[in-house]
Amino acid sequence: MDITREDQIRLMNCMLDMGELLLDAGAEIGRVEDTLSRMGATYGAGRVDVFVITSLISVTMEFPDAEAMTETRRVRSSAQTDFYRVDKLNTISRRCCAEPMPVAELRAQLDAIAAGHKPFGVILAGSVIGGGSYAVFFGGTLCDALAAAFFAVVICQLQLYLGRTRVNTVASNLVISLLTGLGVGLCTAVFPALHMDKIIIGDIMLLIPGLAMTNAIRNMLVGDTISGVVRLAESLIWAAALAGGFMVALTIVNALH
Amino acid sequence: MKDTIVQLLAACIGSFGFALVFGLHRRYLLPAALGGVLSWGTFLAAKAWIGTEFLPCLIASALAVLYSEAMARLLKTPATLFVTPSVLPLVPGGSLYYAMSSAVRGEMLAARAYGTTTLLYALAIAAGISFVVACRELRTKK
Repeated sequence: MDITREDQIRLMNCMLDMGELLLDAGAEIGRVEDTLSRMGATYGAGRVDVFVITSLISVTMEFPDAEAMTETRRVRSSAQTDFYRVDKLNTISRRCCAEPMPVAELRAQLDAIAAGHKPFGVILAGSVIGGGSYAVFFGGTLCDALAAAFFAVVICQLQLYLGRTRVNTVASNLVISLLTGLGVGLCTAVFPALHMDKIIIGDIMLLIPGLAMTNAIRNMLVGDTISGVVRLAESLIWAAALAGGFMVALTIVNALH
Repeated sequence: MKDTIVQLLAACIGSFGFALVFGLHRRYLLPAALGGVLSWGTFLAAKAWIGTEFLPCLIASALAVLYSEAMARLLKTPATLFVTPSVLPLVPGGSLYYAMSSAVRGEMLAARAYGTTTLLYALAIAAGISFVVACRELRTKK
């Protein structure tokens, strides 16, 4: 498909937005690079060079009879996993590669995806179900599951609040795990029938950077070494912050007993 | 036996919950939840057969990724969507907690043992995933 120079510039903008949305939603580096390269080729670029790391996207496109253009985009990932977006963006790129849509329409579809957030109610429900059932999974009673579910709500609210204030992930993990640990400690002091360990373990599962770590290893293995190392270091630091917060909370709870 | 059923059920519901948290579309929720059952079931079966924990965890995570790839082909969506909920029951949340609580109480020997278990599980999950990804890379590069 041949497009005008103005459309080529607009397409470049669309691609950067698309890459940013994908990275932000938790897609792997390889997928972002692959998607953008295909998109460029679909719209008639003779050569597309895409380089993506966790914090930067760089795209160079060469269209026939035109000067090559290069743009970069700094990405400040919030590490909020949203596979609904990944799936939607994947569908758009699949459709585009089969039959390219006008650039204006691509723009409109991307804007629609960027505007839509996954509903907070669904995340809340998922956290309650996830935290509660993992408390049982690790050997807790039904009452432990209920307590874990309650603290899952607390964690969700804290994440929402801290997300708004744009605190970085290390600080927010530290604060959330400290407050959750203290809360569970207090709760088990009042209700001795509850098991503190099972409740906290159920809720730890909500906070462990499992996806980041898995992605890091996958990245390294398929050759995106820089991103893999960066992600791995990030997720280890997040996990350390998590452990730090809980350990301080446990120390305080132990001292009070 | 009763414990096993409770665990498998909890793994199923847990993976379902996390699939919701990750924002999976309605039609992907059931496959994601079944992935959790598959990985934990595989782990338990392999553990009963082999005896240790490292290798069963590796096998279970490799199988979970294979399952995710198959589901991704079938439903035409990225495999990542299913990998994370599927391997979730293998994530060593329990030993991570006990490592921390032992360290806080000053029981360093127990803390070290739990810490090692945590790392071994993490390593086994990563190795299982890597194994499948590496095999797929080899196939597509041919």
